[in-house]
Amino acid sequence: MKNSAKMFWTGLSPDEAREALVNKDKSMRDKRMTLKEAVSQFIKDGDNVGIGGFVNVRQPIATAHEMIRQGFKDLTLSFQSAGMGPEILGAAMIARPDHCSIKRIELAYWAHEAFGLSPTWRYLAERSMVEIEDWSNYNMSIRFKAGAMGLPFIPSRGPLGGDIKDSNRTKIMDCPFTGRPIALLPASNPNVALIHVQAADMYGNCIIRGSDATCSEIAMASARTIVTCEQLVSHELITSAPKDVGIPFPAVDAVVEVPYGAFPGACRRHYYFSGDEIRNFLGLIAPISKGGSPDALKAWFDEYVFGVASFEEYLAKLPFKRIMDARAEEACAIERLA
Amino acid sequence: MTASTDYTAQEIIVVAGSKVLEDNKIVFVGTGLPMVASLLAIRTHAPGLIPVFEAGAVGPPLKCGLPLSVGDSKTFTGASYVKGLNAAFELTQRGFADYGFIGGAEVDMYGNLNSTMIGDFPDGYQNPKVRLPGSGGAADMAASCERTILIVPHDKKKFSEKLGYVTSPGHLDGSPNARFNAGMQGKGPYRVITTKGVFDFEEQSKRMRIIHTFPGETVDSIKAATGFELLVAPDVSEFAPPTVEEIRLIREEIDPTGAFVKRA
Repeated sequence: MKNSAKMFWTGLSPDEAREALVNKDKSMRDKRMTLKEAVSQFIKDGDNVGIGGFVNVRQPIATAHEMIRQGFKDLTLSFQSAGMGPEILGAAMIARPDHCSIKRIELAYWAHEAFGLSPTWRYLAERSMVEIEDWSNYNMSIRFKAGAMGLPFIPSRGPLGGDIKDSNRTKIMDCPFTGRPIALLPASNPNVALIHVQAADMYGNCIIRGSDATCSEIAMASARTIVTCEQLVSHELITSAPKDVGIPFPAVDAVVEVPYGAFPGACRRHYYFSGDEIRNFLGLIAPISKGGSPDALKAWFDEYVFGVASFEEYLAKLPFKRIMDARAEEACAIERLA
Repeated sequence: MTASTDYTAQEIIVVAGSKVLEDNKIVFVGTGLPMVASLLAIRTHAPGLIPVFEAGAVGPPLKCGLPLSVGDSKTFTGASYVKGLNAAFELTQRGFADYGFIGGAEVDMYGNLNSTMIGDFPDGYQNPKVRLPGSGGAADMAASCERTILIVPHDKKKFSEKLGYVTSPGHLDGSPNARFNAGMQGKGPYRVITTKGVFDFEEQSKRMRIIHTFPGETVDSIKAATGFELLVAPDVSEFAPPTVEEIRLIREEIDPTGAFVKRA
């Protein structure tokens, strides 16, 4: 056995994760509530928070806003590739450390693809403000999968060869069957999963359109799951094609209908990326790395997060055209009759 | 085919990248210029190319335009098969991906790629000089696609003897069977496309070798812009400039907003 990095669990250990589920009320009950209620009930200081979506697709933005409004500390963020989710939480840590502190990040990628690098990631990492644990997309995805499978670890080729295996808790052993080196990755069982989906019923059965990303695995691995959805629909409609249900109700603790809950990221069938809104936000952070004032960023949080009571009120402050543009662009990718 | 006289460094990368892609193969496409190059290949010599995007989409026709993300809605419409990240990476681990097509910030003579950090690893890992986005799926593609194609802007500092961090393993230290011995699959880096030329890896030493110089460059000018000793293929040749039609396709049809291909 090589790479004997010190072992510890972030979030729940596999045995604790099992115990959490054993003790959970798994009844099919009405889980609708406000985002304010969901966040205060199911997220705690010190939690390992699993972030669903992929880069700027179906990021749990509304939930991130509510978290900042309420204030949480010592968070661990776990995700494969993310954009605006950690960007908003991390920017809050820069502008309003009294309302958000991130202790640790386990990730594969934090940037915005066509919309650029993440100034927040650079700011936090280059000042050693967060503990970093690098993985790859497949590594993080199968760590959640192992958590969802109820296993303590999973084998992978992903981190072999390079420096990723020496940046994290990977162990390399000789495969007992082939004799060749194989990497073993520890499961990830976050305390809470934040997932945004296209549709859910009041019990938490979810339908995801487009890429599933790793949302099902994160929800199944986590002790608690907050689902926000574009559309809250009847149980009959959700179960009209049962194989379309990507996350089953017992894995979900809260269901909140939040249209545009992933904005300014994208949500298939509903809206495309709002490049303008993403670039505007990144533009508030970039100057701070170069010694500029954080006042503009603070003002953004004052206006759009602390100055409103809900994500709906934030959306209402945006230019209507920006929302309509994001809708129209998505319509190009998915022609259908209303 | 009229040669273009007005093209940018990124545009010739895209053209060279597309030409490396073979028709009817499965290519696992990373974000950015690899997406543009794959679309150009589909529009020109490789209509049967099958792109796979790591967020899950397999074989989309990409009729709605250039995706801005590998998880973009545009990668989903018309795709033959879509699950999520696990399913996509398992395709590569199983051997379904002929090529992985990735970019990076820094490369060494064995095609190892860095997209994680500039600084002192491992001692300075928690205190990087410059923090880059991280692997994304690049390390997985490097470990499991049959061959990889790399795009790296050519710069003496970025073509370095020793990387700050190896995110996506290439031919490792170049020793015989290095990849197999480390537990990886696939033959590793196949081509490197830069702003100055196209490179392969010499069979025995696994060292990077110039095979094509871009117009305006010479073997010597490329060597001078490289931080390690480059090998030169015996039949090194000049890469034909992009055609007017290729440049028109990139500018007017594939990336009309300049999302990835910068005009300057």
